[in-house]
Amino acid sequence: MSPLDDKDSPIILKDLGSLHPINQIKDYIVKILMDMGFKSVDGPEIETEEFNFDMLNIKKSHPARQMHDTFYVENKANLLRTHTSPVQIRSMLKSKPPIAFTSAGKVYRKDDDSTHLPMFHQIEGIYVDTNVTFANLKDLIHKIINEIFGRDINIRFRPSYFPFTEPSAEVDILSESGKWLEILGCGIVNPIVLHNCNIDPEKYSGLAFGLGVERIAMLKYGVTDIREFYKSNLDFLEQFK
Amino acid sequence: MKIVYQDLLRFLDKQPSKESLSMKLFDLGHEHELNGDIFNLELTPNRGDCLSLNGLARDLKHFFGKNDPIAINNDDIEELNFDFKNLSPEDCPKISFLEMEIAENISEYKPYLENYFSVIGNNKVNFFTDVSNYISYELGQPTHCYDKKYLDGTLVLERIERSEKFLTLLGSHINLSGENCVFTIDDEVINLAGIMGGEKTSCSNETKSVVVECAFFNPESIIGKSIKYNLNTDSAHKFERGVDASSQERTLRRFIKVIEDHTTIKNMKIKTFTAKEPPKLTLNIDVKKINSILGTKIHENDYLNFLKDLDFRITDSIEVPTHRHDIASQNDLAEEVARMVGYNNIASKPIELISKPQEKNDNSKISFIEDYFRENGFNQVINFPFSSKNNAKTVTIDNPLDSNKSNLRLSLKDTLIENLLYNERRQKDSIKLFEISNIYTKENEIKQHRNLAAVITGRKGNSPNNFSKKLDYEYFYNFLIKKIPSEAFEIIEISRSNLDTKKKDKIFFVEIDVEKIPNEFSLIKDKEEKPISFKKYEPISEYPSSIRDFSFLIEDKSKVDDVIEALQKIHDKDIKRTFIFDLYQDKKNKNLKIGFRIIFQSSTKTLSEEEINKKIKSILKPIITLKSVSIPGM
Repeated sequence: MSPLDDKDSPIILKDLGSLHPINQIKDYIVKILMDMGFKSVDGPEIETEEFNFDMLNIKKSHPARQMHDTFYVENKANLLRTHTSPVQIRSMLKSKPPIAFTSAGKVYRKDDDSTHLPMFHQIEGIYVDTNVTFANLKDLIHKIINEIFGRDINIRFRPSYFPFTEPSAEVDILSESGKWLEILGCGIVNPIVLHNCNIDPEKYSGLAFGLGVERIAMLKYGVTDIREFYKSNLDFLEQFK
Repeated sequence: MKIVYQDLLRFLDKQPSKESLSMKLFDLGHEHELNGDIFNLELTPNRGDCLSLNGLARDLKHFFGKNDPIAINNDDIEELNFDFKNLSPEDCPKISFLEMEIAENISEYKPYLENYFSVIGNNKVNFFTDVSNYISYELGQPTHCYDKKYLDGTLVLERIERSEKFLTLLGSHINLSGENCVFTIDDEVINLAGIMGGEKTSCSNETKSVVVECAFFNPESIIGKSIKYNLNTDSAHKFERGVDASSQERTLRRFIKVIEDHTTIKNMKIKTFTAKEPPKLTLNIDVKKINSILGTKIHENDYLNFLKDLDFRITDSIEVPTHRHDIASQNDLAEEVARMVGYNNIASKPIELISKPQEKNDNSKISFIEDYFRENGFNQVINFPFSSKNNAKTVTIDNPLDSNKSNLRLSLKDTLIENLLYNERRQKDSIKLFEISNIYTKENEIKQHRNLAAVITGRKGNSPNNFSKKLDYEYFYNFLIKKIPSEAFEIIEISRSNLDTKKKDKIFFVEIDVEKIPNEFSLIKDKEEKPISFKKYEPISEYPSSIRDFSFLIEDKSKVDDVIEALQKIHDKDIKRTFIFDLYQDKKNKNLKIGFRIIFQSSTKTLSEEEINKKIKSILKPIITLKSVSIPGM
């Protein structure tokens, strides 16, 4: 007996591996944003309080700064970034408007239960130019959500609170079961943040948004338990070939 | 915060239905769940002013009008000569005290007070404390009641930094540490300011003479303390978010009125200590600015009416009410206007992003590496970075989730090996995993490196070429060397002797600093975009799987494609996976053999032998009935 000559013919499936579903969704959304004109930027996961909080107008008294929400390292000298926003701060400090940045990556919160993980992924975008308005933000958010969830999706905006945007909004989509699901936070960049980044808030305004990759991945793939993503179970991972 | 629908209606002019009230609360940014008649609200941290019936009604006034159903005592009240020293005015710029004596102890509450406990399900404590809690529900301003007979000496508000035991009024012992803002008498802490009072001076159902304290504490002085001491109190929650800096005396006058509803007050005295009046903030009237922020054309009159309905005072400028700690700029005002208009009523306006051309960055190299591993059968994992191991270069976490997770990993190795063992325990016999993640080291400063790590063990793969071979050093080396120069990596064999496993297959591991991988990696071929698939995930079965292997004999070589096609069409809800693992040509007899594996697994039960055999029979029937195809021995 000898192996058949054409045993690698396409009819026999190749042993392909898989990219992590969170990375697949992250890359997919970053590509949507880059096609819209956002430039992809990176930054460190270990940050300073200055970039993670102060520059973003998150005051010392804000609940997020407490030890129960943020992982501090090396005797509070640094912290594990709680969002990808400091990447945008670092990028804004190096640029002049008009600017359009997107940053994606891991973020950390001191949480660990059935619906919250100590590490998850975020994607954020920021656009700063003259005359950027809340009406523009709404249009852009509609476009992004339509790209991800299709043209027919129902979207609603709700007032919310983030120290780095004002006005701030949370955006829900209507699920097939008729339930509103929160998927994105956004707003007009707080002029204090622009000022902190040496951008004149009298001349320029900006819009910003951020979304949780796990949340989108759960909706797109129908995964109901967020912890599945991080068990490294091949029965799970191989479903995303 | 729980609010009863009927209670809120008393504060509103119009009487909206529960549903329309719920919808409006969402539109205004007040997330909640509605259970029966109870709104369970989760307010954003900037809206401490809405943490009461009165506060929520203020926010709803523009839509439903607002009533003021709260009766207060308007009598001239004698000034209290109270022995109090405020040594920490920056923590507490303003504080009032009411002293009163009631004629008799109260056993029966008026319906409005009784309902607060029976409908929401709050526990009663004692009459004065119950009134204090109820008034906080109505007005959002906490008060604290001391039994007067235990207040012996000068009451001092001060910031102390010392370790001290403190017994709360609920009977739990707290070890005070670090800096705390406290009330003391004779240097002994009797009240953890704004958080919880002490047992020593607390009221009981026998208390007839009471001193009611009503303060404005700076949120910064209170924040973090309730978590630190695990005292999750309503007053801490409200003070952390900021109470109205000018509502103290009104609150105490409401307190008097509620007491008067229940009994006769024999005497009462009141005194306010003001170290500093709350600053008055004014903003310019600038509707043009508001419209430029929102992208709207709102008329100035409408704009000012919105603000008036939210209790802003309009003169030649806009005076911010003392309960709105969240308003400091035109952007804040713009949000108020947008909330009144309704976020969903603001029309979208298209925008073209003016951006600079994209440059290729590090991510494209990562993307090529990922694809190279994926195409070669590796599955990507992502692990949490926490580890129990440490050395001189480890970055340590000050406040880890638990002591086993107090360091940031210096290598991706341990977590990848854990992933490998986890999958071996789940009956996996061919494992190729990789991870690309940052690791951190500390020397003079913290440095970030992006590492690529991969681990292999078991069978080479499922295809006929690979099925009977093991993953080994040679395979790994040949795979890596195609893209990465040999000096950039070192494959190590991981000994199983220290691992919790009985398996024998060799484990090989590699970890590479991504920076050492040449950028040419991404130039080797044009990347083909693999479109993302959104196939719905199928929950993983926790029941055992069963493997069945079959060998098909095909006497007519021209039928081979038909057989392979038929095999690939096999589908059953209890089949997890199928693949061809062997393909042989017998040159002498001119026939072919195909080795085929079916892995059965049900999502609802352990499959029995009979069930599997029955399924096999019906699955294989269309194949073995093909001409010149058989399963020898079956």
